[in-house]
Amino acid sequence: MALDFSFTEEHEFFRQTVRDAVNRLIMPRVKELDEKEEFPWDLWKEFAGLGYLGLRHKETYGGMETDTITQMIFYEELARGSCGFAMSAIMQVLMGTYFIARFGNEEIKQRILAPAIKGEKIGTICFTEDQSGSDLGGTRTLASKVEGGWRINGRKQWVTNGPIASFATIMATVDPKLGLKGLNFYLVEKKTENQDGFTVGQRLHKLGSRCSVTGELVLDNVFIPDENFLGEEIGKGVQYAGEILNEVRVMTGMNALAISKESMVDARQYANNRIAFGKPISTYQLIREKFAKYWAWYEASRTFLYRCAWMIQSNIPCTNECMLAKYHSTEMCMYAVEEAMRIYGGNAFCSEYPVQRFWRDAKFLLYGGGTHEVLCDYLGRIYCKD
Amino acid sequence: MEIYVLVKQVPDPEAIVKVKSDLELEIENKYFTSFFDEIAVEAGLKLKEKFGGRVTVLTVDNRRVDALRRGISMGADDAVQIADAALEGSDQFAIARTLSAYLKDKPFDLILTGRQAMDDDAGIVGPAVAECLGIPHVHSIIGFEVDDQKREAKVIREVENGRETLTCPLPALLTCQKGLNKPRIPLVMNVMKAMKAQIKKIDLASLGLGQSDMSPYIKIEKYVPPPKRPPVKMIKEDFPENVRVLVKLLREEAKVI
Ligand SMILES: Cc1cc2nc3c(=O)[nH]c(=O)nc-3n(C[C@H](O)[C@H](O)[C@H](O)COP(=O)(O)OP(=O)(O)OC[C@H]3O[C@@H](n4cnc5c(N)ncnc54)[C@H](O)[C@@H]3O)c2cc1C
Ligand SMILES: Cc1cc2nc3c(=O)[nH]c(=O)nc-3n(C[C@H](O)[C@H](O)[C@H](O)COP(=O)(O)OP(=O)(O)OC[C@H]3O[C@@H](n4cnc5c(N)ncnc54)[C@H](O)[C@@H]3O)c2cc1C
Repeated sequence: MALDFSFTEEHEFFRQTVRDAVNRLIMPRVKELDEKEEFPWDLWKEFAGLGYLGLRHKETYGGMETDTITQMIFYEELARGSCGFAMSAIMQVLMGTYFIARFGNEEIKQRILAPAIKGEKIGTICFTEDQSGSDLGGTRTLASKVEGGWRINGRKQWVTNGPIASFATIMATVDPKLGLKGLNFYLVEKKTENQDGFTVGQRLHKLGSRCSVTGELVLDNVFIPDENFLGEEIGKGVQYAGEILNEVRVMTGMNALAISKESMVDARQYANNRIAFGKPISTYQLIREKFAKYWAWYEASRTFLYRCAWMIQSNIPCTNECMLAKYHSTEMCMYAVEEAMRIYGGNAFCSEYPVQRFWRDAKFLLYGGGTHEVLCDYLGRIYCKD
Repeated sequence: MEIYVLVKQVPDPEAIVKVKSDLELEIENKYFTSFFDEIAVEAGLKLKEKFGGRVTVLTVDNRRVDALRRGISMGADDAVQIADAALEGSDQFAIARTLSAYLKDKPFDLILTGRQAMDDDAGIVGPAVAECLGIPHVHSIIGFEVDDQKREAKVIREVENGRETLTCPLPALLTCQKGLNKPRIPLVMNVMKAMKAQIKKIDLASLGLGQSDMSPYIKIEKYVPPPKRPPVKMIKEDFPENVRVLVKLLREEAKVI
C-alpha cells in the first residue's frame, strides 16, 4: 500500500477551515477588491489576526511549522478568493520572509520575522530589474562592501507589496561581471519615510490581481549593517534562491488550480442556463468538449502538484517535477480562463460577470517561478540529453 | 459554568447528494458543522469568557468528527464523540436518548445547540434532550443573558411581528437561531490544535444503553429526488401576441398570476 493519494482527515479539516475563512472574509468583497485597486488594510489586519501568515515559520516567532501539504492547501484555498490578496499574503508567508528566517540573526528575527507573522510589518522579495527578469545574471543592483556593512545602489521593479513594504529581501551583485556567481540577498528596512535613500518609485497599474500593490523600489546608496547580509557565503544567492524554488513553483500551480476551478465552475453554471437555439449551450458538443478537456487537465495537474508537494515534504529531489507541474498547471489554467471567456459569449467582455476577472487574474501565473519559454527550453534540453 | 454544546456535521452545501435507493442517500464526502451549531458554540464560548468554566462539544456520529474539531478550533475545551454500531439507522429520538444518557450525571449549567440541523431540518434533538433530562428548554433564541447568581437565563426569541423575552432557571437547554451572534473564525493556532486533538470516543454500553434503546419512532419510508427542471418553453409568436401567450401561460400553466 505505498501508493496513496488521499489527504488525511486533518488536511481535509484544515482545508475546510481556510475555505470557510475565505468565504466569510474575502468572497463577499472580490469585486470591490479588484475594482478599487488598493491594498485592503482592513482585510489584511483581520486575516493576519487569524495567524495564517506564520504557517511556514517556527513557533518561537509565532509560527506554526506546518507541513508542505498543509501550506499548499492554504495557497490553493486562498487563491480561490482574491488572487491579488493571495499574492500579498503568500509573499509574506513564503518568499518575503524565507531568507530572513534562514539567515537572519536572532535580533533580526525578533525585530522583523515575528511582526511579519503578525502582519504588522509587510515584506517582499526583489529580483526583477529593468534589464533582468528571467536572466538573473543581468542583475545590476550593486552591493559594495564598506566599513561595518554594505552600500546598495539600484532599482528593483515589479515588486509585489513594494509600495507598502517595510522590509525587503533584495538580490544584488557584488560585481556585475560575475553574473550569477556575484549574487546575494540583502535585507533592507524602511525605518522611517524616505530613510537613507530607500524609497518607493513608480507604482504599476496591473491587468489583474489588482489589490496587491506592485511597484518599483529605489535604493540610493542605502547603508545596511553586516548582519543584514542574508547568506553564509558571498556569491551563493542563486543557490539559496533554489531552496524555495520548488515550493514557489508548486504554489503557483496551486493558484492555477484555484483560479481555473472558480472560472470553470462559474462557466458551467452559465452554460447550463444560457439558451441558444432553444437549448442550454452546455448541450452542444463543442461546449462540452471544453469542459471535458479542462476536467482531464485539471485532475492531472492537481494530482501532479500534490505529488510534488509530497516530494518536497519528504525531501525527495524534485526540481524537474516541480518545473513540469508549474508549466502544466499554468497552461491548464490559461486554457480554462480562455475557454470560459468564450463560453460567456459577448458577456465575457464586460465587468458585470466575473469571468473576465479570472482571465485577467490568471495571467500573472505565467511569469513567476520561471516563464514557460525558459522552463521549456531547460526541460526540453535535459530531456533530449538522454 | 459547565457548558455542553451539541453539534452535528452535515453535508457541505456544495456536496453532491443523490438518492441512491428508496432508503439511502449517496452523499459526497464533504462535511462541515451545521451553521446553527456554530452559533451555539460561539454562545458557549462567550459565556465561558464572561464567567469562566468549560465548554465541551458533543456529537453522536459513527464516522465523522468534523464538528468536534471545528468546536475545538473555535476554542472549546473538550470534545466527545459517541459512536456505536447500534446507532446505525437511529432516529433523532434515539440520538436524544443517547445524548441525555451521557449528560444526565454531568454537572452542566447549560446545554446549547442549533435550532435545527442544516441537513434534515428536523429540530428535534435539542428539545428531546431537554425532555429526557427533565430540564427547561427554550427554542430558537436570538439573544440571552445569564445571571450566574440567580441561576437564571433571560432569553429573547423572535415571534411573529416582534420579540418575546423569557426567563428560565438553570440548568436549561437553549437552541440557537441566526442573529444570536456571529461565530468566530478560528485562529490557525487553534486549528492546528484541533487537527491533532485526540477525540474521546464513547460507546453505548458505557452509557448503559443497548440496541433495544435505539428502536426508532420515526422510520424513513422513501427518499425522492427533487423534480427535474421542466424544459424551457420558447414563445414563438411575435409582439404583441407573445405577451398574450406569456400571460396565458403564467396564469394557466405556471399558476403564478
Ligand atoms: C504580478 C507580478 C508580480 C511580480 N512580483 C515580483 C516580485 O515581487 N519580485 C520580483 O523580483 N519580481 C516580480 N515579478 C516579476 C517576475 O518575476 C518577472 O516578470 C519574471 O521573472 C519574468 O521576467 P521579465 O518580466 O523581465 O521577462 P523577460 O525575462 O524579459 O522575458 C520576456 C520574454 O522573453 C522570454 N525569454 C527570456 N529568456 C529566454 C530564453 N533564454 N529563451 C527563450 N525565451 C526567453 C520570456 O519567456 C518572455 O516570454 C512580478 C511579475 C508580475 C507580473
Ligand atoms: C464589444 C462588443 C460589442 C458588441 N456590439 C454589438 C452591437 O453593436 N450590436 C449587436 O447587436 N451586438 C453587439 N455585440 C454582441 C455580439 O454580437 C454577440 O456577443 C455575439 O453575437 C455572440 O452572442 P452572445 O454573446 O449572445 O453569445 P451566445 O450566442 O450566448 O454564445 C455563448 C456561447 O455558446 C456558444 N454557442 C452558441 N450556440 C452554439 C451552438 N449551436 N453550438 C455550439 N456552441 C454554441 C457560443 O459559441 C459561445 O461560446 C457586441 C459584443 C461585444 C463583445
